[in-house]
Amino acid sequence: MDPFATLGLPPSFDLDVRTIAERKLALSRALHPDRYVGRPAGERRAALSKALEVNEAARQLSNPITRAEAVLLTLGAVNDETPHAPSQAFLMDILELREDLRAAGRAHEQAKLDALVQQVDARKAETLKRLSVAFADAQRNQYAARPVVHQLLSELRYLQRFSDEAEAFLDEMPLAL
Amino acid sequence: MRDDRPTALVTCDGTGLLPSVVYYGKHGLIMVGNSAKAHLQSEPTRTIDSAKRYMGRGYDEQLAGQLSHLRLAEPESEADRKVVRFDLGERSVTPVEVSAEILKSLKKSAIDQLTHVGGVVITVPAYFDEAQRQATKDAGRLAGLDVLRLLNEPTAAALAYGLDKNTQGTYAVYDLGGGTFDITILELQDGVFQVRSTGGDSALGGDDFDRVIAARMLEAMGFDPGATVPSDVVALVLSVAREIKHSLSQSTTAEVKLPARGGNEVAFALSRDELATLAAPLLARTELASRRALRDAGLTPAQIEGVILVGGSTRMPAVRAFVEKVFGQVPLTDLDPDLVVAYGAAISAAALSGQGEDVLLLDVLPLSLGVETMGGGVDKILPRNLSIPAGARSTFTTYADNQTGFEVHVVQGERELAQDCRSLARFKITGIPPMPAGMARLEIEFQVDENNLLHVSARETTTGIEQSIDVTPSYGLSEDEIEQMLIDALDHGEQDLEARRVADARVEAERVLLATEKSLRDDASLLDPSELARINTAIADLHAVIERTRLSADVKATHINSRLDELDDATKAWAGRRMNQAIARALGGQQLEQVAHSVEAARGVDAHVHEHEQNRSGRRI
Repeated sequence: MDPFATLGLPPSFDLDVRTIAERKLALSRALHPDRYVGRPAGERRAALSKALEVNEAARQLSNPITRAEAVLLTLGAVNDETPHAPSQAFLMDILELREDLRAAGRAHEQAKLDALVQQVDARKAETLKRLSVAFADAQRNQYAARPVVHQLLSELRYLQRFSDEAEAFLDEMPLAL
Repeated sequence: MRDDRPTALVTCDGTGLLPSVVYYGKHGLIMVGNSAKAHLQSEPTRTIDSAKRYMGRGYDEQLAGQLSHLRLAEPESEADRKVVRFDLGERSVTPVEVSAEILKSLKKSAIDQLTHVGGVVITVPAYFDEAQRQATKDAGRLAGLDVLRLLNEPTAAALAYGLDKNTQGTYAVYDLGGGTFDITILELQDGVFQVRSTGGDSALGGDDFDRVIAARMLEAMGFDPGATVPSDVVALVLSVAREIKHSLSQSTTAEVKLPARGGNEVAFALSRDELATLAAPLLARTELASRRALRDAGLTPAQIEGVILVGGSTRMPAVRAFVEKVFGQVPLTDLDPDLVVAYGAAISAAALSGQGEDVLLLDVLPLSLGVETMGGGVDKILPRNLSIPAGARSTFTTYADNQTGFEVHVVQGERELAQDCRSLARFKITGIPPMPAGMARLEIEFQVDENNLLHVSARETTTGIEQSIDVTPSYGLSEDEIEQMLIDALDHGEQDLEARRVADARVEAERVLLATEKSLRDDASLLDPSELARINTAIADLHAVIERTRLSADVKATHINSRLDELDDATKAWAGRRMNQAIARALGGQQLEQVAHSVEAARGVDAHVHEHEQNRSGRRI
């Protein structure tokens, strides 16, 4: 199911998260199972399956990585395209960042953890900007620009994995009080 | 609801609260509430309190070594292990039955004061997992209630607060009850209550504070830590501990005389500060959950408009001071923390039956749902804090030639290993046509409904044959057991049950007829003449079978249900069209074209999407 079609939005990477939330809300008002209490079973089933489609579409489009994947599919990309690994330099950076993260996490150094998270958040924001430009190019010339999109997307996934790991460390931090 | 405002029913003692205590007397006498509480000292093992803590839990996961006056029955079979049973001596009861007694007592009060009871909303801790929710729903059924909805307690509280104070913005609900802790972050806006994240601990609450105080008392009375203490002594110290805890919310010190071992009396004193120290490690656990919920919502404490306190334990000054430190603001306490959840439930019940305010509650899945992988890990299918209803499809494939079936283990929780998560169910899929390994593609669909209950279906996608799935829940009562309990609970057993079944089928049929007739008035234009004719025939048939009097009860119920199915089938396509119309309306006029356009455009890639999804999630198990 195309998440853009589900929410009635154009297939674009530059979607405002607020717009997605608004669409989800408008559709939930019409489709939420609570609106179908006491209705015939068939209608309740239909509403339930549409409502969860809407929630799933909103989830996919709210996250930049899955949103990018969804846009790529509308551009006709398929899964078996050659993978585009990030540059060697990027991979070295990430490796180093993760080592720092693990060291700070194990030593329970909150300030260091926060600084690392901030650094990666900034890189994520930068990558998102470049991704947006790359998508605009890809829309004009699919085949030429698509490798750039793939590469940036792959970088974004690495950065996200870092954030997930950081979160796990933050969860284990000794309590503030 | 009275005059558009929620009102608590008055219980026999004049308050709006019914203590969740059930006493089972020797000759089948059952008491609920304060009269049951009176038996705590004299017959501790027959007086069940905090049954909620045991809901949906198995014998093996029982809080071993925890100070309790209850006695658990040893399981006699494998199936027995799926449910905790309280040992009453001559028989045992499950937490579901105990809860059903409490619900029945509430139902009786409601009938006495309101003449009849329609659909009900039952509130549950937000952090309840699927098994705990299912058990709660079973209890409602056992009590003969039509459960419209299981509503999360913090969401209910926010509903009551939001409508009462007309609040907007992002709020945190800190809910510390007797046996459970929940933290929920939600956004209130124009009648929409959208949960952003939820977290908690379904085995942490006020009872734990009683327990730490009681442990202190036992020490003072001369019991060594870890020594076996008689049930009546445990019941005594727990109840005195609770009194001390309550009195320390008013005064700064409390003192009692306790019977020491050997017959002497011993004085026991506790100050408010000492209680705070005892409570600190327990409260620390709530901080962890609170921080995680904030992070999941992507918010800092400063971005929270207000913190709503729910649950009796939040009356403790130590708890209030703690919440103030964690969130950096004085929590809101204007509504009674014990009643606010009930008010919210009443508002929700009114809304669900189409009588109350136009509110919409968008809740989330509290714990991630996943499937056990080959190596014992967990493949998360639906992550926590996802808006419900939620659904996902996952594709599996066979690993051996001509394999005709396999088993899937569904678990719930955040841990990396399946064995550390809570087992929900195992389902066996059979009837796969013989094929070489890896050729069969099994698509399993997981759906979490608005009550946070899981539904699973499977399809073999290469041949399109629907597979039969045999779901075995890891915990809880089986359908047969519930049926038997229903029969046992009625005076004339099976006969009464049949009568009830006919009554239920009839109510449902009348409801469907009414709804269908209304839809026909609104949307008959979406039907072609042959469809309309089929629906009209189905309606007439259903009316006819309801009117027939010369049918035995079981035959009648079966007939009504089969005619209902026929009507359901006749209206299926129409229901889909009406849903699409609702979607189009929700998206508004101009966007309608856009939808049509993008649907058209998407059609070409649909095949790819499908393929991609399958490749991505295809795996061997």
